[in-house]
Amino acid sequence: MKELIEYISKSLVDDPSQVNVSEIARGLTVTLELEVAPEDMGRVIGKNGRVANAMRILLRVVAAKQGKRINLEIL
Amino acid sequence: MSDTRTVETSGADIEEAIELGLEQLGVSRESVVVEVLEEPSRGLLGIGARRARVRLSTAAPPRSAKPEKPAPPPAAQLARRPARSEPREQPAEDITPVSEADMDDDAKVGLATLQELLDKMHITADVLVYQAEPAEGEETPWVLQIRGNDLGMLIGRRGETLSALQYITRLIASRELQRRANIVLDVEGYKARREQMLRRLAARMADQAIQLGRTVSLEPMSPYERRIVHLALRDHPDVITQSVGEGNHRKVTIVPNSR
Repeated sequence: MKELIEYISKSLVDDPSQVNVSEIARGLTVTLELEVAPEDMGRVIGKNGRVANAMRILLRVVAAKQGKRINLEIL
Repeated sequence: MSDTRTVETSGADIEEAIELGLEQLGVSRESVVVEVLEEPSRGLLGIGARRARVRLSTAAPPRSAKPEKPAPPPAAQLARRPARSEPREQPAEDITPVSEADMDDDAKVGLATLQELLDKMHITADVLVYQAEPAEGEETPWVLQIRGNDLGMLIGRRGETLSALQYITRLIASRELQRRANIVLDVEGYKARREQMLRRLAARMADQAIQLGRTVSLEPMSPYERRIVHLALRDHPDVITQSVGEGNHRKVTIVPNSR
Protein backbone atom coordinates (compact mmCIF):
# COMPACT_ATOMS: atom_id res chain seq x y z
CA MET A 1 0.00 0.00 0.00
CA LYS A 2 2.85 2.26 0.89
CA GLU A 3 4.53 1.55 -2.46
CA LEU A 4 1.35 2.51 -4.33
CA ILE A 5 1.16 5.93 -2.67
CA GLU A 6 4.88 6.44 -3.06
CA TYR A 7 4.73 5.69 -6.76
CA ILE A 8 1.75 7.95 -7.41
CA SER A 9 3.10 10.83 -5.33
CA LYS A 10 6.60 10.71 -6.74
CA SER A 11 5.18 10.70 -10.25
CA LEU A 12 3.11 13.80 -9.61
CA VAL A 13 5.30 16.12 -7.59
CA ASP A 14 8.09 18.43 -8.69
CA ASP A 15 10.41 17.26 -5.96
CA PRO A 16 10.22 13.47 -5.56
CA SER A 17 13.11 13.44 -3.09
CA GLN A 18 10.86 15.07 -0.50
CA VAL A 19 8.14 12.43 -0.74
CA ASN A 20 7.89 10.34 2.37
CA VAL A 21 5.25 7.79 3.24
CA SER A 22 5.04 6.11 6.61
CA GLU A 23 2.77 3.27 7.50
CA ILE A 24 1.25 2.97 10.96
CA ALA A 25 -0.71 -0.17 11.72
CA ARG A 26 -3.18 -0.34 14.59
CA GLY A 27 -4.96 -3.66 14.56
CA LEU A 28 -6.72 -3.93 11.24
CA THR A 29 -6.53 -0.23 10.55
CA VAL A 30 -3.56 1.07 8.66
CA THR A 31 -2.80 4.76 8.49
CA LEU A 32 -0.57 6.06 5.75
CA GLU A 33 1.00 9.43 6.33
CA LEU A 34 2.14 11.17 3.19
CA GLU A 35 4.60 14.03 3.35
CA VAL A 36 5.63 16.11 0.38
CA ALA A 37 7.37 19.44 -0.14
CA PRO A 38 5.02 22.31 0.75
CA GLU A 39 5.00 23.49 -2.87
CA ASP A 40 3.83 20.05 -3.96
CA MET A 41 0.86 19.77 -1.62
CA GLY A 42 -1.52 20.87 -4.33
CA ARG A 43 -0.39 18.13 -6.65
CA VAL A 44 -1.13 15.26 -4.31
CA ILE A 45 -4.39 16.79 -3.12
CA GLY A 46 -5.72 18.09 -6.40
CA LYS A 47 -8.64 20.35 -7.16
CA ASN A 48 -11.37 19.65 -4.61
CA GLY A 49 -9.19 16.87 -3.25
CA ARG A 50 -9.66 14.84 -6.39
CA VAL A 51 -6.20 13.29 -6.47
CA ALA A 52 -6.27 12.45 -2.76
CA ASN A 53 -9.70 10.88 -3.16
CA ALA A 54 -8.65 8.80 -6.13
CA MET A 55 -5.67 7.54 -4.14
CA ARG A 56 -7.98 6.60 -1.27
CA ILE A 57 -10.28 4.69 -3.60
CA LEU A 58 -7.38 2.70 -5.02
CA LEU A 59 -6.01 2.05 -1.55
CA ARG A 60 -9.37 0.66 -0.52
CA VAL A 61 -9.07 -2.06 -3.15
CA VAL A 62 -5.69 -3.14 -1.88
CA ALA A 63 -6.76 -2.95 1.76
CA ALA A 64 -9.97 -4.90 1.14
CA LYS A 65 -7.99 -7.78 -0.31
CA GLN A 66 -6.02 -7.95 2.93
CA GLY A 67 -9.10 -7.52 5.07
CA LYS A 68 -7.92 -4.17 6.38
CA ARG A 69 -9.12 -0.63 6.67
CA ILE A 70 -6.98 2.19 5.49
CA ASN A 71 -6.63 5.90 6.11
CA LEU A 72 -4.55 8.23 4.04
CA GLU A 73 -3.42 11.42 5.70
CA ILE A 74 -1.56 14.12 3.91
CA LEU A 75 0.65 16.03 6.29
CA MET B 1 -16.39 -25.58 -13.31
CA SER B 2 -18.80 -26.15 -10.47
CA ASP B 3 -17.69 -22.95 -8.88
CA THR B 4 -21.08 -21.33 -8.71
CA ARG B 5 -21.32 -17.93 -7.13
CA THR B 6 -24.57 -16.17 -6.53
CA VAL B 7 -25.47 -12.61 -5.71
CA GLU B 8 -28.78 -10.90 -5.19
CA THR B 9 -29.02 -7.27 -6.12
CA SER B 10 -31.70 -4.69 -6.52
CA GLY B 11 -32.01 -1.61 -8.65
CA ALA B 12 -34.48 0.88 -9.98
CA ASP B 13 -35.07 -1.47 -12.87
CA ILE B 14 -34.04 -4.95 -13.90
CA GLU B 15 -31.20 -3.76 -16.06
CA GLU B 16 -29.67 -1.77 -13.26
CA ALA B 17 -29.99 -4.64 -10.82
CA ILE B 18 -28.27 -7.00 -13.26
CA GLU B 19 -25.53 -4.50 -13.93
CA LEU B 20 -24.84 -4.15 -10.22
CA GLY B 21 -24.71 -7.89 -9.81
CA LEU B 22 -22.28 -8.26 -12.71
CA GLU B 23 -20.07 -5.66 -11.10
CA GLN B 24 -20.06 -7.52 -7.84
CA LEU B 25 -19.25 -10.81 -9.50
CA GLY B 26 -16.83 -9.22 -11.91
CA VAL B 27 -18.11 -11.30 -14.79
CA SER B 28 -19.78 -10.60 -18.09
CA ARG B 29 -23.46 -10.81 -18.90
CA GLU B 30 -22.92 -13.99 -20.89
CA SER B 31 -21.62 -16.02 -18.01
CA VAL B 32 -24.50 -15.65 -15.59
CA VAL B 33 -28.01 -16.93 -15.26
CA VAL B 34 -30.44 -14.24 -14.25
CA GLU B 35 -33.51 -14.86 -12.18
CA VAL B 36 -35.90 -12.02 -11.69
CA LEU B 37 -37.01 -12.16 -8.08
CA GLU B 38 -39.15 -9.09 -8.15
CA GLU B 39 -40.35 -6.92 -10.98
CA PRO B 40 -39.95 -3.24 -10.36
CA SER B 41 -43.02 -1.11 -10.09
CA ARG B 42 -43.13 2.60 -10.18
CA GLY B 43 -45.98 2.95 -7.80
CA LEU B 44 -48.13 6.01 -8.07
CA LEU B 45 -46.19 9.23 -7.88
CA GLY B 46 -43.41 7.33 -6.23
CA ILE B 47 -45.67 5.90 -3.56
CA GLY B 48 -45.47 2.17 -3.30
CA ALA B 49 -42.59 2.03 -5.72
CA ARG B 50 -40.80 -1.28 -5.63
CA ARG B 51 -37.26 -1.89 -6.73
CA ALA B 52 -36.31 -4.68 -9.07
CA ARG B 53 -34.55 -7.62 -7.47
CA VAL B 54 -32.57 -10.22 -9.33
CA ARG B 55 -30.38 -13.17 -8.51
CA LEU B 56 -27.34 -13.85 -10.64
CA SER B 57 -25.54 -17.17 -10.61
CA THR B 58 -22.32 -17.89 -12.34
CA ALA B 59 -23.45 -21.23 -13.61
CA ALA B 60 -21.31 -21.21 -16.68
CA PRO B 61 -17.62 -22.08 -16.59
CA PRO B 62 -15.20 -19.16 -16.44
CA ARG B 63 -14.86 -17.25 -19.63
CA SER B 64 -11.58 -18.81 -20.61
CA ALA B 65 -13.51 -21.99 -21.30
CA LYS B 66 -16.10 -20.10 -23.26
CA PRO B 67 -16.44 -22.16 -26.47
CA GLU B 68 -17.77 -25.10 -24.52
CA LYS B 69 -20.38 -23.07 -22.70
CA PRO B 70 -23.70 -24.82 -22.73
CA ALA B 71 -26.55 -22.66 -23.89
CA PRO B 72 -28.10 -21.24 -20.75
CA PRO B 73 -31.61 -22.44 -20.23
CA PRO B 74 -33.56 -19.77 -22.02
CA ALA B 75 -36.51 -20.15 -19.71
CA ALA B 76 -34.48 -19.22 -16.68
CA GLN B 77 -32.43 -16.55 -18.26
CA LEU B 78 -34.90 -14.69 -20.36
CA ALA B 79 -38.25 -15.71 -19.03
CA ARG B 80 -39.35 -12.33 -17.82
CA ARG B 81 -37.25 -10.10 -19.91
CA PRO B 82 -38.92 -8.50 -22.86
CA ALA B 83 -37.67 -9.97 -26.10
CA ARG B 84 -35.29 -7.36 -27.37
CA SER B 85 -32.85 -7.81 -30.11
CA GLU B 86 -30.00 -7.29 -27.74
CA PRO B 87 -26.68 -7.34 -29.48
CA ARG B 88 -24.62 -10.04 -27.80
CA GLU B 89 -21.74 -7.79 -27.95
CA GLN B 90 -18.49 -8.80 -26.37
CA PRO B 91 -16.40 -5.74 -26.93
CA ALA B 92 -13.02 -7.14 -26.23
CA GLU B 93 -13.44 -10.10 -28.56
CA ASP B 94 -13.52 -8.54 -31.98
CA ILE B 95 -10.82 -6.01 -31.37
CA THR B 96 -7.26 -6.31 -32.50
CA PRO B 97 -4.76 -5.44 -29.84
CA VAL B 98 -1.80 -3.60 -31.21
CA SER B 99 1.75 -4.65 -30.50
CA GLU B 100 4.14 -2.37 -28.73
CA ALA B 101 5.82 -1.47 -32.01
CA ASP B 102 2.62 0.10 -33.32
CA MET B 103 1.88 2.19 -30.26
CA ASP B 104 2.51 5.88 -30.11
CA ASP B 105 3.87 7.61 -27.03
CA ASP B 106 0.45 8.05 -25.46
CA ALA B 107 -0.23 4.33 -25.57
CA LYS B 108 3.25 3.34 -24.45
CA VAL B 109 3.43 5.72 -21.53
CA GLY B 110 -0.16 4.99 -20.54
CA LEU B 111 0.43 1.26 -20.61
CA ALA B 112 3.63 1.47 -18.61
CA THR B 113 1.95 3.68 -16.01
CA LEU B 114 -1.06 1.43 -15.69
CA GLN B 115 1.08 -1.69 -15.36
CA GLU B 116 3.09 -0.04 -12.64
CA LEU B 117 -0.08 0.91 -10.77
CA LEU B 118 -1.61 -2.56 -11.08
CA ASP B 119 1.63 -4.07 -9.90
CA LYS B 120 1.72 -1.82 -6.83
CA MET B 121 -1.90 -2.73 -6.15
CA HIS B 122 -0.95 -6.42 -6.30
CA ILE B 123 -3.38 -7.07 -9.11
CA THR B 124 -2.60 -9.67 -11.71
CA ALA B 125 -4.18 -8.78 -15.00
CA ASP B 126 -3.47 -8.45 -18.69
CA VAL B 127 -3.78 -5.14 -20.44
CA LEU B 128 -4.82 -5.10 -24.08
CA VAL B 129 -4.18 -1.92 -25.97
CA TYR B 130 -6.19 -0.95 -28.99
CA GLN B 131 -7.60 2.05 -30.75
CA ALA B 132 -11.22 2.89 -30.00
CA GLU B 133 -13.82 2.89 -32.73
CA PRO B 134 -13.62 6.23 -34.46
CA ALA B 135 -16.54 8.32 -33.28
CA GLU B 136 -17.92 11.16 -35.33
CA GLY B 137 -15.60 14.11 -35.39
CA GLU B 138 -13.46 13.15 -32.42
CA GLU B 139 -9.96 11.93 -32.03
CA THR B 140 -10.01 8.26 -31.17
CA PRO B 141 -8.42 7.45 -27.86
CA TRP B 142 -6.31 4.44 -27.01
CA VAL B 143 -8.19 1.94 -24.93
CA LEU B 144 -6.28 0.15 -22.21
CA GLN B 145 -8.50 -2.83 -21.61
CA ILE B 146 -7.74 -4.64 -18.35
CA ARG B 147 -8.57 -8.32 -18.38
CA GLY B 148 -8.24 -11.02 -15.81
CA ASN B 149 -10.11 -12.99 -13.21
CA ASP B 150 -12.19 -11.44 -10.50
CA LEU B 151 -11.68 -7.85 -11.47
CA GLY B 152 -15.04 -6.63 -10.15
CA MET B 153 -13.28 -4.78 -7.37
CA LEU B 154 -11.35 -2.84 -9.98
CA ILE B 155 -14.63 -1.50 -11.32
CA GLY B 156 -16.21 -0.67 -7.99
CA ARG B 157 -19.63 0.65 -7.26
CA ARG B 158 -20.91 2.41 -10.35
CA GLY B 159 -17.44 2.27 -11.83
CA GLU B 160 -15.99 4.41 -9.06
CA THR B 161 -12.72 2.50 -8.78
CA LEU B 162 -12.28 2.36 -12.54
CA SER B 163 -12.74 6.15 -12.69
CA ALA B 164 -10.13 6.68 -9.98
CA LEU B 165 -7.68 4.38 -11.73
CA GLN B 166 -8.23 6.12 -15.04
CA TYR B 167 -7.84 9.53 -13.44
CA ILE B 168 -4.53 8.67 -11.79
CA THR B 169 -3.17 6.85 -14.84
CA ARG B 170 -3.98 9.80 -17.10
CA LEU B 171 -2.58 12.28 -14.63
CA ILE B 172 0.75 10.51 -14.38
CA ALA B 173 0.97 9.76 -18.09
CA SER B 174 0.04 13.32 -19.04
CA ARG B 175 2.69 14.68 -16.75
CA GLU B 176 5.30 12.51 -18.36
CA LEU B 177 4.13 13.39 -21.86
CA GLN B 178 3.70 17.04 -20.93
CA ARG B 179 0.35 17.07 -22.68
CA ARG B 180 -3.00 15.40 -22.24
CA ALA B 181 -2.61 11.63 -22.66
CA ASN B 182 -5.15 10.36 -25.12
CA ILE B 183 -6.08 7.19 -23.27
CA VAL B 184 -9.10 5.64 -21.61
CA LEU B 185 -9.24 2.64 -19.31
CA ASP B 186 -11.74 -0.15 -19.17
CA VAL B 187 -12.10 -3.36 -17.20
CA GLU B 188 -13.55 -6.44 -18.85
CA GLY B 189 -15.64 -4.39 -21.26
CA TYR B 190 -17.49 -2.69 -18.40
CA LYS B 191 -17.87 0.62 -20.18
CA ALA B 192 -19.39 -0.92 -23.28
CA ARG B 193 -21.90 -2.84 -21.15
CA ARG B 194 -22.70 0.25 -19.15
CA GLU B 195 -23.18 2.24 -22.32
CA GLN B 196 -25.66 -0.32 -23.65
CA MET B 197 -27.52 -0.17 -20.39
CA LEU B 198 -27.63 3.61 -20.37
CA ARG B 199 -28.96 3.72 -23.91
CA ARG B 200 -31.76 1.36 -23.03
CA LEU B 201 -32.46 3.32 -19.89
CA ALA B 202 -32.55 6.54 -21.90
CA ALA B 203 -35.02 5.10 -24.38
CA ARG B 204 -37.27 3.79 -21.63
CA MET B 205 -37.23 6.99 -19.64
CA ALA B 206 -37.97 9.00 -22.77
CA ASP B 207 -41.07 6.86 -23.32
CA GLN B 208 -42.02 7.46 -19.75
CA ALA B 209 -41.59 11.21 -20.03
CA ILE B 210 -43.80 11.28 -23.10
CA GLN B 211 -46.41 9.06 -21.52
CA LEU B 212 -46.57 11.07 -18.31
CA GLY B 213 -46.27 14.34 -20.13
CA ARG B 214 -43.74 15.62 -17.65
CA THR B 215 -40.02 15.89 -17.04
CA VAL B 216 -38.27 12.75 -15.86
CA SER B 217 -34.92 12.91 -14.05
CA LEU B 218 -32.30 10.19 -14.04
CA GLU B 219 -29.86 9.37 -11.27
CA PRO B 220 -26.81 11.59 -10.90
CA MET B 221 -24.10 10.47 -13.31
CA SER B 222 -20.58 11.31 -14.39
CA PRO B 223 -20.07 13.65 -17.35
CA TYR B 224 -19.14 10.68 -19.50
CA GLU B 225 -22.34 8.86 -18.65
CA ARG B 226 -24.54 11.90 -19.04
CA ARG B 227 -23.05 12.39 -22.44
CA ILE B 228 -24.09 8.88 -23.46
CA VAL B 229 -27.67 9.66 -22.47
CA HIS B 230 -27.68 13.00 -24.27
CA LEU B 231 -26.32 11.40 -27.43
CA ALA B 232 -28.76 8.49 -27.23
CA LEU B 233 -31.71 10.88 -27.26
CA ARG B 234 -30.24 13.57 -29.46
CA ASP B 235 -32.31 12.59 -32.46
CA HIS B 236 -35.42 11.67 -30.55
CA PRO B 237 -38.24 13.73 -32.04
CA ASP B 238 -40.38 14.02 -28.92
CA VAL B 239 -38.01 14.80 -26.07
CA ILE B 240 -35.12 17.06 -25.26
CA THR B 241 -32.49 16.36 -22.63
CA GLN B 242 -30.85 18.70 -20.20
CA SER B 243 -28.35 18.30 -17.40
CA VAL B 244 -29.22 20.01 -14.14
CA GLY B 245 -27.56 20.25 -10.73
CA GLU B 246 -24.02 20.82 -9.65
CA GLY B 247 -20.95 18.64 -9.30
CA ASN B 248 -21.61 15.10 -8.18
CA HIS B 249 -25.33 15.71 -8.14
CA ARG B 250 -25.59 16.70 -11.77
CA LYS B 251 -28.11 14.58 -13.59
CA VAL B 252 -29.90 14.33 -16.89
CA THR B 253 -33.52 15.34 -17.17
CA ILE B 254 -35.69 14.28 -20.07
CA VAL B 255 -38.31 16.81 -21.07
CA PRO B 256 -41.18 15.94 -23.40
CA ASN B 257 -41.45 18.32 -26.32
CA SER B 258 -44.27 20.74 -25.87
CA ARG B 259 -44.90 21.58 -29.39
